[in-house]
Amino acid sequence: MKILLIEDDREAASYLVQALDEAGHVTHHAADGETGYAMASGMDYDVLIVDRMLPRRDGLSIVESLRAEDDKTPVLILSALGEVDDRVTGLRAGGDDYLTKPYAFTELLARVEVLARRSSPAEAATSYTVGGLSLDRLSRKVERDGENILLQPREFRLLEYLMKNAGKVVTRTMLLENVWDYHFDPQTNVIDVHMSRLRSKIDKGHANPLLHTVRGAGYMIRE
Amino acid sequence: MNRFAQVWRTSTVRLTATFIAIFIVFAILLMAFIGWQSSVQIQRQQTDDIDREIRQFQRIETNQGIRALAFAVNRLSSQPGPGIYFLGDAAGLYLLGNVTDVPAEVVINPGVYSFDYERPNPLGDDVVEEGRPPRQREGIAVVRSIELDNGMRLVVGRDVVERRGYSAIILQSFMVGVVGIVLFSLIAGGITARRVLRRIDTIQQTSTKIMSGNLSERVPVTRRNDEFDALATNLNAMLDRIEQLLQGLKEVTDNVAHDLKTPLTRLRNQAEAALRDTASVETREQALENVIAESDRLIQTFNALLMIARVEAGAPSGALSEINISEIVADVAELYGPVAEDEGIAVETRIAEGVTLKANRELIGQAMVNLLENAMKYARPEDGKSGRIDVSLSNEGDRVCISVADNGPGIPDADRKRVLERFVRLEKSRSEPGSGLGLSLVNAVARLHGGTFRIEDNAPGVRAVLEFPAR
Repeated sequence: MKILLIEDDREAASYLVQALDEAGHVTHHAADGETGYAMASGMDYDVLIVDRMLPRRDGLSIVESLRAEDDKTPVLILSALGEVDDRVTGLRAGGDDYLTKPYAFTELLARVEVLARRSSPAEAATSYTVGGLSLDRLSRKVERDGENILLQPREFRLLEYLMKNAGKVVTRTMLLENVWDYHFDPQTNVIDVHMSRLRSKIDKGHANPLLHTVRGAGYMIRE
Repeated sequence: MNRFAQVWRTSTVRLTATFIAIFIVFAILLMAFIGWQSSVQIQRQQTDDIDREIRQFQRIETNQGIRALAFAVNRLSSQPGPGIYFLGDAAGLYLLGNVTDVPAEVVINPGVYSFDYERPNPLGDDVVEEGRPPRQREGIAVVRSIELDNGMRLVVGRDVVERRGYSAIILQSFMVGVVGIVLFSLIAGGITARRVLRRIDTIQQTSTKIMSGNLSERVPVTRRNDEFDALATNLNAMLDRIEQLLQGLKEVTDNVAHDLKTPLTRLRNQAEAALRDTASVETREQALENVIAESDRLIQTFNALLMIARVEAGAPSGALSEINISEIVADVAELYGPVAEDEGIAVETRIAEGVTLKANRELIGQAMVNLLENAMKYARPEDGKSGRIDVSLSNEGDRVCISVADNGPGIPDADRKRVLERFVRLEKSRSEPGSGLGLSLVNAVARLHGGTFRIEDNAPGVRAVLEFPAR
C-alpha cells in the first residue's frame, strides 16, 4: 500500500515511516503543509495520514482542498486536539477517520488498513462470507456451516463490522466507535466481554475458530 | 476643584444638567403658550365686551333717544376702569366721553382700531388720590367706532395697558419659576450624584482591595434592591466563581503534582529496569510492556483532566443539541451489562422511553460510563449477597433524573461530597484501579448542562443521582 504521511514532527514521522515500512507499506513523508498538499495532489496514494497542525498550511485545509478537487483518497487525521467538536470538525472537513495523539502504533496501523479497504467496492456488499460463516445484511441472517446462529442486534453489528473488515485487525476503540458510536475510552474491558460472547456464539463447537484476538492490538476475523 | 471636575465627569451630573436645560426650554415654551393663550382670551373678552356695550348704546339711542344715550355715555365715562367712551358729532368732533384725543380718522371711519392716547381721566386707582391733578397717563386703546343712525359718531373701547401688565406678571412668574427649577434641579442632582458617587466609590474600593490580592472581599449589598444592588450581587457572584476556580486550579496543581508524579516515577523505574545489564530478554520485554501500560494510564488520566477542565470552563463550541437521553442511558447499560454479569453483578434498568434533553451526547455517555464503572467497582455487598446495580431514568415533570445505584458497602456521610473532587479516592478504593477523576467529570458534566450531581445513601450502597432541568 502507498501511504503519504504529512507530519512536521521529524522524530514521530521517522518512527512512523519505519514502522509502516516494517508492516509492508511504502510511505512517503512531507514535513509541511504546502509540500504535503503538492505531493498528495501530484501522486496517487492509497491513504493519506495528515497531522492537523502543520507549518505553512494546516491539515484540515489540505483535506478540504483535495475534496474540492474530487480527490477521494481516504484520509486519517492525526491531532492533539481530541475533544468531541474537534473530531466533528475534522470529519466534516473531509477526513475519513480521526486519531488523537498520543496513539498506539497498532491503532494507527489498523485504522490505515481499514481505511484503504474503504475505497474498494466491498463496502456496498449485501453479504459477507468468511470460511463457513456467512452474514446477510438484508435478511439479517447469520449462518455457520448452514446452521443458523441467533444474534442480538448489537452482536450482529459487531460481527458485521468484523466481517466487512475480514482479514484486518480492528481495535477496541474502532469497535466502540463504529458499533456503539461512542468516542470515549472505557477503563474496563467492556469490548472484550462482548467479543467473548460473540465468539462463544460463532466459534463454539467448531474445530477452526474464525474470531481471533490479536495480542496488543485488537481482533480479527479470518479463515 | 479637582473634586468638582470629578463630580462634573460623572454621568449623573451631566444627566442632571441636561435635564435642567430641558426643563428650562419646556418651561419657556409652556409659559409662552399660556401667556399667548391668555392674551388671546382677554382680547376676545374685551372685543366681546366692546361689542356688547355698542349694541346697548344703539338700543338706548333707538328706544330712548339721543339724550338717554348721552346720559349713558356720560355715566359710563365717569366710572373708573379701563373703559374708553367717545361720542362725537357727524363731523367727528368731541361731544362727550372720557377721551378727547381720538384720531379723526378713527372717528370718521367705522371699524376696529388700536392707538396710543393720553388719558385725561386715568384709571380708577388714580382718581381717589385727592388734592392732586389727575395724572396724564400713556394709554393704548383698542376701540370700535361706529356711525349712529342720526349720523353721530360713537367710539367704545378698552385701555389695554392693563393687559400689558398682565404679560409682565406672566414674565415675572416665569422668571421665578425658572430660577426655582434650576435651584431645585441643582440640589436634587447634587444629592443624587453624591449618593451615586458614594456607592460607586464603595465598589471601587472593594475592587481595589480585591486587585491587591484580597480575593475574599465582597461588595456590600444594601436592602434597597436597586440597580446598584443588582450590580453588586452580580459582581459578588462573579467573585465567588473566580475564587472557586482559583481554588480549583490550586487543588488541581497540587493533585497533579502528587497523582501524576507517582505514575511517572513508576514509569521511570520500569524503563530503568529494562535497561539494567542483568535483565533477561523476558524481564526486558515485561518491563517495556509495563512502560506502555503505565503511559496509557497516564494518558487516560491526562485526558480525563483535560476533559474536566474543558467541561468546567463552559459549553464546548459544539454546543448542545436535542438528544434522546433514554437511548444513551440504555446504550451504556447494555454496553456494561455483560461485563457486570461476568463479575456476578446484575444490572437492572428502569428507563423511561423517549426522554429528550438538550445535551452533549458524548459527555452524557462518558458520564454514564463513569457512573457504571464506578458502581461495578463497589457493587459487592459485604454480607456476601450478589451485587446489583439499578440504572433508572425518569422524567419528573421539569426534571430529568438519572440514577445509578449499587448495593455495595456505600460511602460514609462525611465523604459523600468529597468524592466529587478531583483525585479524591477513599482509602478503601486505593487498591482499585482508577484515577479518582470519574465522579469529578460526572459532576462537571452535570453542571455544564445546568443540572446537579449528588451521592445518596442507597441503604446499603450508593445511589449516584444526576438531575437535569427538562425545558
